[in-house]
Amino acid sequence: MRLRSTAVLASVTWAAATGAAPAHHSFAMFDNQHPLEISGTVKEFRFVNPHSVLIVEVKNPDGVVKDWTLEGPAPGIMLRQGVTANTFRPGDAFKGTISPLHSGQAGGSYFPPQVDLSNPVAERK
Amino acid sequence: MPLRCIIGWMTIAIALIAGPAAAQQLFDESKYPAFEGQWIRIGPIERYDQTKPPARGQEAPLTSEYQAIFEANLADVAKGGFGDDPVYACILEGMPRAMNLILPMEIVIKRNTTYILMEYLGMLRRVFTDGRKFPDDEGPSWMGYSIGKWIDADGDGRYDVLEIETRNLKNPRTFDASGVPMHKDGQTIVKERLYLDKSDPDILYNQITTYDHALTRPWTVLKTMHRERNPIFVEAVCAEDNLQVNIGNDHYMLNSARELMPARKDQPPPDLKHFDRPKN
Repeated sequence: MRLRSTAVLASVTWAAATGAAPAHHSFAMFDNQHPLEISGTVKEFRFVNPHSVLIVEVKNPDGVVKDWTLEGPAPGIMLRQGVTANTFRPGDAFKGTISPLHSGQAGGSYFPPQVDLSNPVAERK
Repeated sequence: MPLRCIIGWMTIAIALIAGPAAAQQLFDESKYPAFEGQWIRIGPIERYDQTKPPARGQEAPLTSEYQAIFEANLADVAKGGFGDDPVYACILEGMPRAMNLILPMEIVIKRNTTYILMEYLGMLRRVFTDGRKFPDDEGPSWMGYSIGKWIDADGDGRYDVLEIETRNLKNPRTFDASGVPMHKDGQTIVKERLYLDKSDPDILYNQITTYDHALTRPWTVLKTMHRERNPIFVEAVCAEDNLQVNIGNDHYMLNSARELMPARKDQPPPDLKHFDRPKN
């Protein structure tokens, strides 16, 4: 399975919709009961373990641009479902729904729409 | 010398010369099930019981003492804490949790040992099948000490089931990422039965029964896995870029600039008593 279009993400599946995020300990910092929609520009995509990191520049209502740090699934999960290190490139537009940090700081978790944690085998068939 | 004696001595001589080669021939791979390849879990991520929802949905048969511990863990997680799950710090999941298979595994059958190589956290299991007993003086480990026995369940002359018993387990461990707890005494025993589906050899089952003093009874689940015919192999080095930090008894997060950030609302900063700070 190869990656799809990387130009624009139309939407990002909210993690809790898959039932996956609540089950993973290190996503405990993220509030999946109060999803947040953000839009901005991809600054960096770190395809690293234990979780990928997508940094998005988001312009606040007051015009100030802030970096949002978004944690995602591990590369081993995403590679098998079509997401690679090149899926998100600097300069790509980003719009999606995230689970924000409980602290209220600029961060959260995201799950690319291609990734289904509920059944990785079924996804690939 | 009688002919019998000559033949006897010749037999002994041949055995001594051909011994090692003959011993190798005793390991007949065709007698073992086709466990090779990459196995991917079928079903949702990070659950001991694949058929049930996470956390309270697992309906773990916990004692009242450990149910209270679990509830306190969930309350902490609800506020943004990490609860009791230790794996965020890149500690091995250990047994039986490793068999939840976040990422795939491979099985390698050798004459006296079967190896289970797990992609997540690079976990490795050795299952000794040489008939040994559990040692009295071996220290605990997260993956434990495993002894296996091959079974020819259907009597066709080929092994089809690997029974495994694992002891000597180290703490801290939980059943899953939601923090379903295991007893602090570390006296867990895990028993498994690994076997292929009779009608689909690309399906592998693992019936796991965990005996633990945090439980009111043994907890048995059935894991199902699929053999990936076009595998890819990925390194999963947890410490590569872990943004989650444990300082003292509290947890924090790093942002994109690797600056320390609170993980919970109104979380105080860590104690900086060992740092020289400018006087105002």
